[in-house]
Amino acid sequence: MRLENVWLRYHRRGPWVLQGIDVRIGPGEAAIVLGRNGVGKSTLLQVAAGVLRPGRGRVTDRPARVGWVPERFPADQPFTVTRYLTGMARVAGLGRAAADEAVTFWTDRLGLSGFRSVRLPELSKGTAQKVGLAQAMLRPPGLLVLDEPWEGLDATTRELVPELIADVLAADGSVLISDHRGETVRLPAARRWLVADGSLSEETSSTDETIAVVEVAVPAARVAGTVARLRAEGHQVLRVRSDASTAAPQARPAEPLRSAGAARPAEPSPGAAGELAAVQPEAADPVVEPTAGETR
Amino acid sequence: MSALARMRLAGLLRTGRALAPLLAGLITLGTLYGGGRAQPAEAYGVSAVVLFPVLAWQTKILLDVEPDVQRRLAQVTVGVARERLSGLLAAAVAALVTVAVALLFPWLVGGVSGPVGPGDRSIPVGLALGLWAHLLVVPAAVALGALASRASVGGAGYGVAVLTLGGVGAVVFGLTGSVAPWLAPPIMAAARTTAGDAAALTLLGLTGWALAWSAAVVGGYLWRRRAEG
Repeated sequence: MRLENVWLRYHRRGPWVLQGIDVRIGPGEAAIVLGRNGVGKSTLLQVAAGVLRPGRGRVTDRPARVGWVPERFPADQPFTVTRYLTGMARVAGLGRAAADEAVTFWTDRLGLSGFRSVRLPELSKGTAQKVGLAQAMLRPPGLLVLDEPWEGLDATTRELVPELIADVLAADGSVLISDHRGETVRLPAARRWLVADGSLSEETSSTDETIAVVEVAVPAARVAGTVARLRAEGHQVLRVRSDASTAAPQARPAEPLRSAGAARPAEPSPGAAGELAAVQPEAADPVVEPTAGETR
Repeated sequence: MSALARMRLAGLLRTGRALAPLLAGLITLGTLYGGGRAQPAEAYGVSAVVLFPVLAWQTKILLDVEPDVQRRLAQVTVGVARERLSGLLAAAVAALVTVAVALLFPWLVGGVSGPVGPGDRSIPVGLALGLWAHLLVVPAAVALGALASRASVGGAGYGVAVLTLGGVGAVVFGLTGSVAPWLAPPIMAAARTTAGDAAALTLLGLTGWALAWSAAVVGGYLWRRRAEG
């Protein structure tokens, strides 16, 4: 699929949110869309998915089957989980038996079996988000577009998202993901698209580039937000520590990146150390290391 | 497309929001037929006129029940054209159900009578003309309701304004001697036709007029939604 000189604005006299985006993603490729809040990440994803039509330019070679997981699943609907997913499976073109089979498979896989007869408005945000994931996967998509897919998910299901992505990639599909939580460290092989000022640039990975570590001191209450923002900007956060004695307000001169195994996780969740170690060989830009406060 | 139309109809029924236009329609018909008995063709002609805004409102409610994000999910799943068509199809099906109730209603309350004079039409002819008058209203009302839907106009206030202007305009511009009758669907002309001389050519002309008006308004609806997909 290719976005050719795509421009988009929401109102005739409004500012252009996307300006001349020209990018291509091929079968078996994943791309992470990064950028600050409000720069147009969701807009770009919606153009790619076919939700929005570009004001100028065009989208070519979009796969016939697209799965889109919106940032917020629309749970205000008068259906149970089963009825909704069955309906969406039928809308996607599956026959009755195939729809039932797909719904059973995905509700089991995403841990929704116990919620099948629960009405959508009664679901928690995370469970509703799982329904959003399930509806996108009912028919194997050629393009999977995930807008903040980790939002509200529990730890177990967060681990599932990379598996779903891997499934789509293995079937020669393409995947686009936006993320401001830093969860995309779980996808070390994905391309990284940075959206800023309406334009898109791709971060190229090169192990030959010199890597610098910058230590930053922030108030403990702002650690989570700072970590998320740094990650959204494409930096790698190696660790967070509460050792205030070393929290000097100025940045130290650049130093070489320590070995992958030496890096400590930025958050104490299981598997996080592995994620960081896995992504470090891909690092191409300065690595930032906040030093104050506890992690989330 | 039919699966999506079914899902949208189910959404309309399950939320209970179908009740409001249905009750409004029944109250209007009750008022209409409460005044005495009339010939079927004449009664149905007026019934079709009063149902026009009710069916347009019902269409708007049906299309607005679905959350915006769900509508976009449907669009991603089936494509732009089928998403739009399935909404119009669901609205047309719902309108036909209401039309069926409207056609049955006067017989239940004794609001119609058989031919009483030598020039009166037979009941089958009256029924056929009444069915034609109601079917003429369906595409026009669906088109107006779609144009007034949230996906088309955005805010609720604009939607109500479009519905009101469309409903009032259909009557005002449809009066005999109107300076711009083509601005409205020919529901008033159809009512006059069912009560008077219903020549085949007239019926054909009014049918074409109604379809052309509906197509133009649906075109406006699609144009308003051009930024999606």
